[in-house]
Amino acid sequence: MYLRLAFRNIFRNKVRSLITLGAISFGCISLIIAGGFIENTFIQLRESYIRSFLGHIQVYKKGFLEQGVARPFDFMISNPDEVIKKITDHPHVVAATPRLEFSGLLSTGETTVSFIGQGVNPKWENQISTFVQLEKGENLAEGDTYKTILGKGLSEALMAKAGDPLVLVANTKSGAINALDMEVKGVFFTSSKAYDDRALRVPVEVAQKLLHTDDIQTIVVLLDDTSETDAVIAGLNERFKKDGLDLEVKPWYDMADFYTKTVDLYKRQFFVLKLIIGIVVVLSVFNTMNMAILERIGEVGTIMALGTKRRGVVTLFLLEGLILGIVGGVIGVASGYLLAMLISYIGIPMPPPPGATIYWTAQIEMVPAIFAFAFVLAIVTSVVSSCYPAIKASRLEIAEALRHNI
Amino acid sequence: MGIIKIEKAGKNFSLGKTIIHALKGVSLEIGKGEFMAIVGPSGSGKSTLLNLIGCIERPSSGTVMIDGTDIGSLSPDELAEIRSSRLGFIFQSFNLLPVLTVAENVEYPLHLGGGEKRTRAEKVAGVLKEVGLERFSSHKPAELSGGQRQRVAIARALVGSPSIILADEPTANLDHRTGEEILNLMKDINRKMGATFVFSTHDPKIMNIADRMVELRDGEITFDHVS
Repeated sequence: MYLRLAFRNIFRNKVRSLITLGAISFGCISLIIAGGFIENTFIQLRESYIRSFLGHIQVYKKGFLEQGVARPFDFMISNPDEVIKKITDHPHVVAATPRLEFSGLLSTGETTVSFIGQGVNPKWENQISTFVQLEKGENLAEGDTYKTILGKGLSEALMAKAGDPLVLVANTKSGAINALDMEVKGVFFTSSKAYDDRALRVPVEVAQKLLHTDDIQTIVVLLDDTSETDAVIAGLNERFKKDGLDLEVKPWYDMADFYTKTVDLYKRQFFVLKLIIGIVVVLSVFNTMNMAILERIGEVGTIMALGTKRRGVVTLFLLEGLILGIVGGVIGVASGYLLAMLISYIGIPMPPPPGATIYWTAQIEMVPAIFAFAFVLAIVTSVVSSCYPAIKASRLEIAEALRHNI
Repeated sequence: MGIIKIEKAGKNFSLGKTIIHALKGVSLEIGKGEFMAIVGPSGSGKSTLLNLIGCIERPSSGTVMIDGTDIGSLSPDELAEIRSSRLGFIFQSFNLLPVLTVAENVEYPLHLGGGEKRTRAEKVAGVLKEVGLERFSSHKPAELSGGQRQRVAIARALVGSPSIILADEPTANLDHRTGEEILNLMKDINRKMGATFVFSTHDPKIMNIADRMVELRDGEITFDHVS
């Protein structure tokens, strides 16, 4: 009976109930759109880092992470092909490629600048670095020798273009100075301007020749699903241990400091947004329920005179809040889903994030947890905001309340 | 012993800094099956006395016993229990719940006591027939005339088979003829079911129908006549 009464009471003042349902639904939609947008930003930022240079996992010789910066040549992987074979055996691994990182000076004859270089395997690297985009010229290809691609900022600093000759100078493994004549094959850019300002890529064999080594430093691993990172790490660690390989691994999130800090910042902002939306819904439902009580003081007096206990009155008004929350939540979640689909279909053109150069298109990520949260928030806030009015109604003096009927 | 026994009951209200003595030591005993009218001018304390008998308010002083239970010491929930199990109410403005149908309004007090759906439906049909509204069971109160609404309210008061039915000015919002019909219906039910009726009224027609008439003035009984 209370349920029937609550349901019909809600729809007796259709305009007011519609406004309240609108506020609840709007809250849900805002959460779904804002949450989905932020999640999409996270994913795109994450994938741009992973697919520009980090990969999902990087494998090093044990000790490289602690001491490799000071003594990189002491922690080299000497049997990369064997290790890569073991890594690619894992079901979620799409590609694994060797890298040899080095730094030095780059000269056109007139201008000399410092650089950070990566010796890469063009065949595998092009699978991993899908977010590395060519602005001019061509990318490195299998079989290339003495060819390099330059980051956009670096090429601008040197005023170098595709086809230009350059000299690459670096310290060898033994500390001597070595130089190689190179040709610019292309100019690339990634999501990170700081990287593009200093980076160049050469075939790994060229880097080995320059540094006088046959080894490599890092094996970069790409997975088919970012969420499998931890599982693959566990699998690789087990495999390396079993095979007696002295290697250590690092997941992308331990390397993407900017990403993790951005996520932390956005998450806090999203929390504030959730709080604001929650307060809007609470105030809206609170207002509706208070108005309903003011209008129905006489009726509350009547049902109490007929023998309804205080908790019965509380139940009635809480049920009204619950129904408003459920109906508003369902409308909000359904509308949020449709709107998210529409926005994702059209796409939101976005400027490059701080420190980046690439314009991108944001979409609304459909995150089940955000949908569930929006629905639960609608219900909880509706019921919570009905509590005070419900208790107030149950405390009415019956004789006084009955006078409102006359 | 009467079904209702009031001894030196007083009821005070504070209005700002002023204390209003709505009832001043009223003593009254009402027997089972009586059809009793409380008359008196506005502000004489009629509604307050009915509220005390109806367990809607507790006395400030003295005692009010309903079926041997002193209501002065009961909690709000215990008072609600007595109201739903032993009392029926008929209000001046009918006080039907507008969102419920006639049958649902009549059924409402039965929900408070639980019971099977089928039994409740049978009881509702029985009392609606008694008040002559069986055809209107699915109507909303807004679709009925004043007299019909008050009949629904009477059915609602009767449905739980209470031992006492209280009516606060039941004919005040009805025209002369309808008011008379309602009073005759109440008297008829009183005779057939033996329920005690206590009602406040300004209506002179009551003189011909009531078994007993109690007059209140300024919170005191000034006249108690059994016909």
